[in-house]
Amino acid sequence: MLEELQTREAFLQQVHPTLKLLSLFTVFFFMIFIYDIWHPLAVLLLTVAAISFLGKVPLKLLLILLLPFALFGFSFVWLQVVFPEERGATVLFYVFHMPVALENIQTGVSLGLRAMVFASWSLLFVLTTSPVSLVMSLIQKWHMPPSIGYGMMAAYRFLPQLRKELVVIRRARQIRGMGSKPRMREWKEAGVPLMAGAVRKAERTALAMESKGFDGSRKRTRYVQMNYKKTDVWFTAGFILFITVVFLLPLS
Amino acid sequence: MANKRLNLRDIVVISFISAVLGVLYLLWVLLGQMVTGIFGPVGGGLMAGFWILAPVICAYIVQKPGAALLAELIAAGTEVMAGSVSAGAVLLLGFTQGLAAEIIFAVFFYRVFRLPVLMLAGMAGTFAAFLTQYMLYGFSQYAGSIVVFMLVTMIISGALLAGWAGKSFADALVKTGVLDRFALGRQYREGQQRNAV
Repeated sequence: MLEELQTREAFLQQVHPTLKLLSLFTVFFFMIFIYDIWHPLAVLLLTVAAISFLGKVPLKLLLILLLPFALFGFSFVWLQVVFPEERGATVLFYVFHMPVALENIQTGVSLGLRAMVFASWSLLFVLTTSPVSLVMSLIQKWHMPPSIGYGMMAAYRFLPQLRKELVVIRRARQIRGMGSKPRMREWKEAGVPLMAGAVRKAERTALAMESKGFDGSRKRTRYVQMNYKKTDVWFTAGFILFITVVFLLPLS
Repeated sequence: MANKRLNLRDIVVISFISAVLGVLYLLWVLLGQMVTGIFGPVGGGLMAGFWILAPVICAYIVQKPGAALLAELIAAGTEVMAGSVSAGAVLLLGFTQGLAAEIIFAVFFYRVFRLPVLMLAGMAGTFAAFLTQYMLYGFSQYAGSIVVFMLVTMIISGALLAGWAGKSFADALVKTGVLDRFALGRQYREGQQRNAV
């Protein structure tokens, strides 16, 4: 399902992965200085709207994915109320003789929303960028060494096999009558053969890469070219406008 | 031997180990979020060390410059490729945590990979994670006592979950013989031969 979303014919999916990555870190940077409620709320709503309209991601799916972060965000609220750096003056009510101040709730909500903004921008990136295009762009535009890029991709492709190997290991243990141990012990004992299998597979992969003349040098022709296009100009323009309006103009 | 560069085989093996750990990191994030949601960042702090396993294990196995940072970046990259819902924070943390562990190994000139050094690398990793999260999530707004308490739990977690657990896992892995062509495997074989004589 993730793959289907990442390759949809929508605007955000066409944008160059490096630009999306840059925009992600830019938003993180500007959010660090924000301690009010309205800025993160506006960014959160705009981001969710952007993902659902420009990325054609179903709103329902987005909300489900953001739900755990709401819980995570809520922990910032109660923590801020119980352990504030400075207790606010406007006491709203008391919980077990502990004053709950409006200012602390506001800061807590702001920090909670900030965590949700981080999550939503991460979703914008993850839901609209396929792993292959990400690694290819990093190699071609950000000078990632090809040996690391292709090594990563090989490892990523190997991951689905892990589950099969876990089943094999579990059955082998059952045949030997070792199946009745508690789950935690089993995980630990299955971890070593699982990792050993991964290392063997990695060595074979490295040998195959070497024997096929892959030496990790950068001067090679490529099947997939990750060049900047017109959509990238629109995305950059839109993003600069967004940052300027939300963070740089004094709206308060 | 200590100043060798990473070759293709090192890089691919580090990639595979870190990718497997990256998947476990993702599962750990789900667990961590539940714990953090209920007990707050202090409870979550005790879990922080797990995310430093990749640099500790890979640096211990390969014993070359760059292994720790590369391992943590690849683990973070795998999390993002597998669809982590906190991609941005994961990549930032991957960089800072890996860099911190790398610095510890560099301080010892990539020659000492004993338990105290590995624990120190784990502690440096969680310390970097603490600093990064301090910036990202605005810890400056909380009471000093709870922030310090969190820092302490994270550093303890780094020493135990990353340093100690990472070493014991790699030590178990080396006995299977798959690491024989790496620094750790060679040391293990040499030790065995010495014992045999």
